[in-house]
Amino acid sequence: METKAVEPPIASANPIAPPAGKNAVIGSGIKINGEISGNENILIEGRVEGRIMLSGNDVTIGKTGQVMADVSAKTIRVAGEVSGDLKAKERVVISGSGNVHGNVVAPRVVLEDGAIFKGSIDMDPGDAIAAERAAAKAVGKANGAVATGAAGGMGASSAGQASLIAGDAGSKAPDLSLKSS
Amino acid sequence: MAADSVAGTAGAAAARSPIASRQASKVLPQLFTPGPSDGLDNGCLTVLEIGRALPETVRFFSSIRCRIHIADLFSELRQGNLAGSVTGKPLERCFQDQMAIPAGTRLDICLLWDFPHYLDEKQLRAFSRALWPWLHAGTRAYVFGVHSAATILLNREYGIFDAETISIRPRSEEALPCKPHPQSFLNEWLTCLSVNKGVLLPDGKVECLMRARN
Repeated sequence: METKAVEPPIASANPIAPPAGKNAVIGSGIKINGEISGNENILIEGRVEGRIMLSGNDVTIGKTGQVMADVSAKTIRVAGEVSGDLKAKERVVISGSGNVHGNVVAPRVVLEDGAIFKGSIDMDPGDAIAAERAAAKAVGKANGAVATGAAGGMGASSAGQASLIAGDAGSKAPDLSLKSS
Repeated sequence: MAADSVAGTAGAAAARSPIASRQASKVLPQLFTPGPSDGLDNGCLTVLEIGRALPETVRFFSSIRCRIHIADLFSELRQGNLAGSVTGKPLERCFQDQMAIPAGTRLDICLLWDFPHYLDEKQLRAFSRALWPWLHAGTRAYVFGVHSAATILLNREYGIFDAETISIRPRSEEALPCKPHPQSFLNEWLTCLSVNKGVLLPDGKVECLMRARN
């Protein structure tokens, strides 16, 4: 995925853009069947079936919200129920009361304690973290990190495995970008 | 297996218990150590999580380009969706349907935890056949084995806290029937993977790094 973070629109620079913080609200007694698009943030406490396309804005599905739709937005926060795919330019957050059944694609995905999720998550944190990791790797190499042998692929013994994790082990994050094809 | 007291007294089924403890792992780092033939598709790591999506596991993988398939087979087992006699489908098909792995996927890492011990031989062989098409030469899996059939597996769910640490939570649901399989049986019945490394833990569990078989 090649998605990159996008700077939020600056309201004063574009008279057409809505004032910062302006939200449309779909109340808990409202049901919508169809497509929602536009350029305002939206809070959904009601029921939506169809499609939600607000690529430059934030979509929040509140605790009473029920969304049977694919959602495309800048950021998506789910505290209610979603059955559909979520695609965000910046971030998807599924909060503790959230229940998502679908696939998520976003540079960053946060699952809070209690969240229920079924599907797949595609994450690509992008260039910033890649650069950070490359720098860390360079430091690791300078400190003497060495690949210790060559693995034979399937069935290779652990003694023969190549160790590609940076030797300083300062970071315990996964170091899996080494075999990019 | 008897449910441990914490899991047995927990509340609603949907509730998730907080992290109860963490456990240092000697095997986990090797799960994230690709061999020379273990190249990732377009630099994207593909992970299969057999348990529930836990916040710490998602957070751990969030720093790299990856795709995580969450297939909570524990929940499906509980609901009877992995029993051919209930669904009327061949067992292998039950597992395929519940894993719902998209066509073309190549799994780099499988997080199986203690799931094999909740399956009997027939189910485990069917699970292996269902998993096999998605594996490649470099696929690695993390599985808990047991030192002996008498080892007690507590009603826990597991996640990845960091590259060297497992997170452990009591399950909020009642324990499923469990019959721990010694490593020799695990190796024989889990036909798509073979044990590459095992580390015995104080509680009788064995952390196993498995690799795809030829």
